[in-house]
Amino acid sequence: MLLFRGEEHVDRWCTQWSQPRGATLTVDQAWQLADAWYRNKMNPDWRRATVDETENLLTQLGLTGPFWSLRA
Amino acid sequence: MTNSFDTRVRLALYREFVRTSEPPTIKSLAETMPAPADDVLAALERLAAAKAIVLQPESREILMANPLSAVPTPYRVRIQDRSYFGSCVWDALGIIAMLQSDAVLDTSCACCGEAMTIGVHRGHAAPIDGIIHFAIPAKRWWENIVFT
Repeated sequence: MLLFRGEEHVDRWCTQWSQPRGATLTVDQAWQLADAWYRNKMNPDWRRATVDETENLLTQLGLTGPFWSLRA
Repeated sequence: MTNSFDTRVRLALYREFVRTSEPPTIKSLAETMPAPADDVLAALERLAAAKAIVLQPESREILMANPLSAVPTPYRVRIQDRSYFGSCVWDALGIIAMLQSDAVLDTSCACCGEAMTIGVHRGHAAPIDGIIHFAIPAKRWWENIVFT
């Protein structure tokens, strides 16, 4: 996951490195995702989120569609 | 060894990493706990298999105690008088979330190299011009987590 100044910089990077265009998030979306994902990582009862829990989180943040699907 | 031992190893690992800004070695973790180094390594291997952490391919020392990176990256988080590195921008933001503190993320545009800063204050990321690109679809993130 890389940070860019804007969409045109993403396009340039994808061309330069022959990478497909993926999906983009705002910084605030990424912050909310990081906060939900890692907030409890140092707690004794932390555990990895299940696929269902992760999908619910992505949906809550508006990250839906095939790119964000966790199912094969 | 039990799940509770693995939890003790995980917590000791993270506490030492956060306290020192450096990844503890297997040897130093064993001394800190205290526990036999072989048992600590076995716990680290189980934690890595469970995708809680990532170990270096040969030495089996810590590579990522996600969101913390054991090696310097272009994503440096400054919290008070400490600095930490995230493996990517998401992990760097994750360090701030995990430590629940005001912080500044120093990084740069992955395309042109222009310096960029994200500040987080009282649980909110300050708005900046910038977007985050995920090249790999979500279901493939762990196929090669170092690249992701």
